[in-house]
Amino acid sequence: MNAFLADYLPIALFFVVAGALGGAMAVAAWLVAPQRPDPEKLSAYECGFAPFDDARGRFDVRFYLVAILFIIFDLEIAFLFPWAIALGDIGLYGFGSMMVFLALLTVGFVYEWRKGALEWE
Amino acid sequence: MTVTLAHYLILGGAVFTVGIVGIVLNRRNVIMILMAIELLLLAVNLNPFSAHLGDPAGQVFTLFVLTVAAAEAAVGLAILVVFFRLRGTIAVEDIQDLKG
Amino acid sequence: MAAPDLFFWLCSAVLMLSSVFVVSARSLVHAVFFLILAFLNAAGLFILLGAEFLGMMMLIVYVGAVAVLFLFVVMTLDTGRPGGSLRARLPAALAAGAILLLELAFVAVAGGPGGSPEPLPGGVSNTRALGRLIYTDYAALFELAGAILLVAMIGAIVLAHRYRPGVRRQNPVRQFGRRQGESIRLEDPAVGAGVSEQGR
Repeated sequence: MNAFLADYLPIALFFVVAGALGGAMAVAAWLVAPQRPDPEKLSAYECGFAPFDDARGRFDVRFYLVAILFIIFDLEIAFLFPWAIALGDIGLYGFGSMMVFLALLTVGFVYEWRKGALEWE
Repeated sequence: MTVTLAHYLILGGAVFTVGIVGIVLNRRNVIMILMAIELLLLAVNLNPFSAHLGDPAGQVFTLFVLTVAAAEAAVGLAILVVFFRLRGTIAVEDIQDLKG
Repeated sequence: MAAPDLFFWLCSAVLMLSSVFVVSARSLVHAVFFLILAFLNAAGLFILLGAEFLGMMMLIVYVGAVAVLFLFVVMTLDTGRPGGSLRARLPAALAAGAILLLELAFVAVAGGPGGSPEPLPGGVSNTRALGRLIYTDYAALFELAGAILLVAMIGAIVLAHRYRPGVRRQNPVRQFGRRQGESIRLEDPAVGAGVSEQGR
């Protein structure tokens, strides 16, 4: 195994331990706890009265617009990381190309601000 | 059996095949088609030529494919939401108003 | 078997299984969760290949944003699973898959270039190596990516944003411009007389 992957060994160990611990607890709870199912116990609990409707209710579409805008700006930020790290190597040209990129996305940002897409009515 | 370039390529091809099967299998459900397209793009991204050739340029292309995939998902799902709002269904058969 | 190879087999097996479950899951919510699992394992493969930045991008963009978007849409539309039974279309799907698998088999039999993909050597971190390329050598593609994001943003707003008239909106300028004198009034009513009886 080379040195690069050896760096990731602690993370792999972390995943193994976390998975084993979580699995062991779930299995232990399933094995140790008494299981006497009952219709009242198994039904959904909502402050004492019968549930009004399915838990899988519809989301409002407005959440969706926020999620889309989040994706776009998420990608913008993701492109900023290598730029920030390599800024010393790429010189003024790299700086300029990122400024053009940011200007493009700022146009979109101004547009969505003017349209009121960021407002929560 | 040591893992070679061919293993990665076959894995990518197999995932691509699953994506194609998914499109044909779910061709009446737009959300599933979009998910299958995400799988296709994932499969294409898995080609490890960057590591094979020792040139990081391949990873740059993966980055751009990722960007396009995210933009495609955003706009595709927006179209889907609008269509559902207009029609109350997302079955593909109903989307034929533009047919002459 | 070396540990990285073991990791490859584990990740690729889970990736294959979860992508099969994506296309065949009964419920759309399950399909989205299997899609997340597939993305996670692909991120593991990217890290195994030394493309650390791409692996993290998979996590941030796909798992963190795209999968959540799919989940939102599945929850928003709440249509169950339209499209009827899968069994009727299984032959056509299998035929399409078989053609691709056949082509794949040709490639596998013909054999590709050998050698194992290894993480790139050199003391430069993966993210820095990418950064040196994206903003200079691939500047045109990079600006194009920005344009695509701009179009996606505008398109999503045009499509999904509904302007509702008559909605009370927040006006930050007015909110911050308010002074104490406009909003609070101190009165000193006489004993036994209400505020309303003072000629107001």
